[in-house]
Amino acid sequence: MALDRYEWLGRLANRLPEDCLVMSTYIGAVSFEWAHHTEEHHRTAHLGQMGDVIGMAVGLALALPHRRIVCLDGDGSVLMELGQLVAMGEQQPDNLVVFVVDNGVYESIGWSSQGRRPTATAGRVDLAAIAAGCGVPYTVDVTAEDELDAEIELAFSRNVCSFINVRTRPGHSHVRPRRTDGIEDKYRFVRYVERLEGIWITGVPPQDIALMKDRKG
Amino acid sequence: MAMTDAALDAAHEGLRAAGIDFVSGLPDGWQRPLHERVELDPDIRYVPVCNEGVGFSICAGAWLGGKKPALIMENSGLRVASEYIARISLGTGVPVTLLCSYRGDVGETEHWGIPHGIVAEPLLDALRIKYLIVRHVEDLAKSIVRAKRISEAQLHPAAVLVSGDCVWED
Repeated sequence: MALDRYEWLGRLANRLPEDCLVMSTYIGAVSFEWAHHTEEHHRTAHLGQMGDVIGMAVGLALALPHRRIVCLDGDGSVLMELGQLVAMGEQQPDNLVVFVVDNGVYESIGWSSQGRRPTATAGRVDLAAIAAGCGVPYTVDVTAEDELDAEIELAFSRNVCSFINVRTRPGHSHVRPRRTDGIEDKYRFVRYVERLEGIWITGVPPQDIALMKDRKG
Repeated sequence: MAMTDAALDAAHEGLRAAGIDFVSGLPDGWQRPLHERVELDPDIRYVPVCNEGVGFSICAGAWLGGKKPALIMENSGLRVASEYIARISLGTGVPVTLLCSYRGDVGETEHWGIPHGIVAEPLLDALRIKYLIVRHVEDLAKSIVRAKRISEAQLHPAAVLVSGDCVWED
């Protein structure tokens, strides 16, 4: 029995650790619904796109190994670049938890009287099994609400690199699309990380500002 | 055939001088020694990948977490990575320094390297990536530093293509 996406994303948002960072998809239903549930909190980087969301999350997790990183991706995106799972399994960042909205269709492209276009997970492909085969230490294929609650609790109670595939019903909640583009999304996430971590990512570094003052003096 | 010992030292020196502290990549025949060197450098986190597109995504994520990333690959890897460079960097503005073997440059000995040389520069132009072609070892370290510098200034990748005396001792 598959889960309702809007509903389970809401339950995940409510259980999200306060001090974590999230790498999410950029456009599409997952991004829009997550933004709706989290009120566009700047801890989420809405920067991932088809085939690169998990890869970016792996990089973020390796850069900030002390910080919990949550990744939200869709089945079509994971399928586009399975090499991401190889990197995840090889590196095994223990601060990374990936949740996949696996609804078995390309939801965001729309549909006709013939129905939605299926992804390969609607057939024989099992993403959790692929992730396990790539060496990801903990993988699970979730099909029921109570299972998901238990997996969320488990994921946030320990440090184990995890891939949680959630079988989800197709369907739109029709929340409004996000208004920001990738440039704005990047800056607000980067500024949030800078404040959270006390680091400098973009702009003139502090040592160069000191140098400018010296020159003026 | 691999990069010369002098080029290896210069490339490593350039990465360190540029402040690169995170490297991803897929080794090729020419730059294999550099991957081996970087992997042993305690100041650089090295993440090997099986696909340069994944390597670019990982570098982009690392930059968002405060790292200074570089992607080391053959120029054939540019083609693989181009989809993710376009999506991530043209769409959001993320800097990654690219260090590419320039297979198919004048002097190439291998027939399979020719297509790599035909595509590389037009592809970099299409992706609006500024680049330096380095054919003399003495230019290599400073070119890496300069590429990293402009990548940070423009928040977009910049590339160094390695060829000439860096690989051939003819």
